[in-house]
Amino acid sequence: MPDKETSKLEPSQMKTDTEEPRIGVYTCYCGGNIGFVIDCERVADELGKLPNVVVTRTDMSMCSDVGQTMIEEDIREHGVNRVVIGACAPSLHEQTFRGTVSRAGLNPYFYHHVGIREQDSWVHSHDHEGATKKAIRLMSAGIAKARLLEPLEPIKLSAEKHALVIGGGVAGLRSAWDLSRRGLKVTLVEKSPFLGGHMAQLEKTFPSGEEAGGLLGPLIANVVSDPNITVHTYSEVTGVRGYVGDFHIQITQQSRGVDDTLGEAAMQACKTEVQDEFNYGLTNRKLVYKAYPGCYPSTPAVDWDHCPDGYLELEIDGRQIKLENQPKTFDINTGAVVVATGFQPYTPLKGEYGYLEHPEVLTLPQFIRLLTLIPEGKELQLNGHRVHNIGFVHCVGSRQIEGIHEAQEDGQVNNYCSRVCCTATLQAINELRQRYPDLNIVDIYEDIRTYGRGHEEYYAEASANQVLFMRFHGEEPAEVVRATDGDKSPLLIRVKDYLTWGEEIEVPVDMVVLAVGMMPTSIEDLIRLLKVSPGTDRFLLEVHPKLRPVETAVPGVVLAGTAQGPMNIKESIAAASAAASKVAVLLSRGKVELEPFVAHVDHELCTGSGECVEVCAYEDAISLKPVSMDGKEVEKALVTSANCVGCGVCVSACPNLAIDLQGWTLKQYDAMVDALVMDMSAIGVKHE
Amino acid sequence: MATEQPSEELKILILATLSGGYAGADSVGQLHADYATNTYILPVECPALFPKEFYLRTFKKGIDGIIIMYSGTDCPYKGGAERTAEIINETYPLMKERGMDTRRLRLVAICTVCTQPFLKEVTQMNNVLQEIGPVRQELSVSQD
Repeated sequence: MPDKETSKLEPSQMKTDTEEPRIGVYTCYCGGNIGFVIDCERVADELGKLPNVVVTRTDMSMCSDVGQTMIEEDIREHGVNRVVIGACAPSLHEQTFRGTVSRAGLNPYFYHHVGIREQDSWVHSHDHEGATKKAIRLMSAGIAKARLLEPLEPIKLSAEKHALVIGGGVAGLRSAWDLSRRGLKVTLVEKSPFLGGHMAQLEKTFPSGEEAGGLLGPLIANVVSDPNITVHTYSEVTGVRGYVGDFHIQITQQSRGVDDTLGEAAMQACKTEVQDEFNYGLTNRKLVYKAYPGCYPSTPAVDWDHCPDGYLELEIDGRQIKLENQPKTFDINTGAVVVATGFQPYTPLKGEYGYLEHPEVLTLPQFIRLLTLIPEGKELQLNGHRVHNIGFVHCVGSRQIEGIHEAQEDGQVNNYCSRVCCTATLQAINELRQRYPDLNIVDIYEDIRTYGRGHEEYYAEASANQVLFMRFHGEEPAEVVRATDGDKSPLLIRVKDYLTWGEEIEVPVDMVVLAVGMMPTSIEDLIRLLKVSPGTDRFLLEVHPKLRPVETAVPGVVLAGTAQGPMNIKESIAAASAAASKVAVLLSRGKVELEPFVAHVDHELCTGSGECVEVCAYEDAISLKPVSMDGKEVEKALVTSANCVGCGVCVSACPNLAIDLQGWTLKQYDAMVDALVMDMSAIGVKHE
Repeated sequence: MATEQPSEELKILILATLSGGYAGADSVGQLHADYATNTYILPVECPALFPKEFYLRTFKKGIDGIIIMYSGTDCPYKGGAERTAEIINETYPLMKERGMDTRRLRLVAICTVCTQPFLKEVTQMNNVLQEIGPVRQELSVSQD
């Protein structure tokens, strides 16, 4: 029977932080989720016998208003000054109960939550006795910790109501715009001379079929006309100091080399051409260039990467003009950083499906650009040859298998699915079919993963329009080889097709398109500066994929878009808006509050040996500083709370046990272990 | 602390990171998958917190097996995974010196949805403990 009280309370007395712990223990039935398996009344009875426990209660739903009010009353009226709750996972209701405790006037960190649903009743439903005993043990460990809880205060810092967005692709632009609309000032830096990122290179977007430029153009216009947003193109972050609320960011900006008055004439005058990265090398551009028609800024820029001496000499209207790169460096102060550095398409290795060995082999991004370069009504040609037969190969640079696929420079293969390429390929195929109804199209895939709403329709449309599908296994990838002289088509795709039970097929083709996956942009320097962590797939890691999906472990640094992993445009925009919301909530009050679970140094024990500083990976989180003690100046470790992420690496490194993690101290862990092994019968608990 | 005594139950302590093993254990719960009740999960931000002496102390107190379910290379804290591995590697020889079977201490990467690996690790540790018995037995032999 729930809602039972087994109290040994004295009349109310106000508690202080230094009082002897008076622990209230609350066991939740969670409807029947816990109570149908665990004997909650027995748990309450047994735990009531432990030292310092002054009240034990059960309730059908401890998180309900009734349950929370009961806890608040015990704190206010019965002198409970530590609270232990056994209920569902802490991730669900830890904050709820911290609020409960706080409302009753108790320090919110005088509370410990024990998960006895996901980690007990739900996994031991066939062993009620075992589950009950386990609940007693786990909660007695919680009680042991509660005895040692110290009052903690959130770390409060004043915060600049300003955010830095790194990256001027669709995710960065969207984040910047959302942040501004929430009242924050924003600085956006883009490494290249022009805004737009990869979205500017697309024609149509799936699943709506809208023009990419028609979506991107207004977004860019909104950002650049917004008085709250300052845009720096041709710029990158070259220094980071400070912490959440008060980052000091150094930005280095390349010169554009020309201004509006000189720009067009300089473009005309420049004779040197290099491969145009906007068209993935299919065309050339000049060293003084605009990335694409209608780009922002509209002022051309000089490509300094191809000017090794840092200047470019041009003859304009009979005058010799020297254009020089004079980078400038400046600092900004910001409260948070949105990392929207994007992706780069996978570049196949030489010989991978014939890439770079046969000029008829292109990547999907190249093919998309090729289609835009061919005027409507003109035939599909590559290098002057008409294309009659075309083959698409999926999963190039994705879902790679060690031992089958050649590793990248870092020794790893891309074993992840890039998610976007299946639908992008089918979209390109359908567009191709519309423009060239007589073309023979073969789609060679490992799996088709058209996972999003409206994506499967692309597969259905291709299937209904005479696109021939063949399926290979990952261990037996298709091969692209040169056809025999005299064959009509220059290439053959060899594939073991599992749609025809492993038949080995040779498909003659005039062009092969490789559906390449996504890789993160190379941002090693930024990773080092911001102290964020990449995963094994090299994309940046969030703290938790479900619970904190856009936050990094560094407070105030959040992720937006494909810097975090393969995403399509819709997902990138959603992630960008999520990142902006997270930052807006963090900074909108002009101050930030951080969890107080950071390192703390006992200066009586610290000898200034410095091991903690050596092992800490976070700049300025812990350092040796002179401190005056007993009239002498000595070096001691000092923690800058705002820079400490609470990993505890310094705790284990200290030879003098002078450092601990507030809220999760080694003594508290030791006490919990003591409780787990305790002979409870010695104190009257009928347990074993 | 109350008096300790040899326990009938062979106890497994699971130190599980909040961003990895602890959430993974919650996922196992959401599946309502069944595993042994002698498993006690304590949350930790990053197990690099624990010095090697902590593990030795914990065994001495009567915990028979420890599984550290960390986030491995997905650890959100820079250097946390590497430091944890270093500490565990330094702990093994100390366990041997004290006559303990090093299989009692295991470091494994468990992600938020690694339900099957979680269950496999718990089963494996229980199998090992069934084979080698309580830790107190080894410690008392080494003291004799």
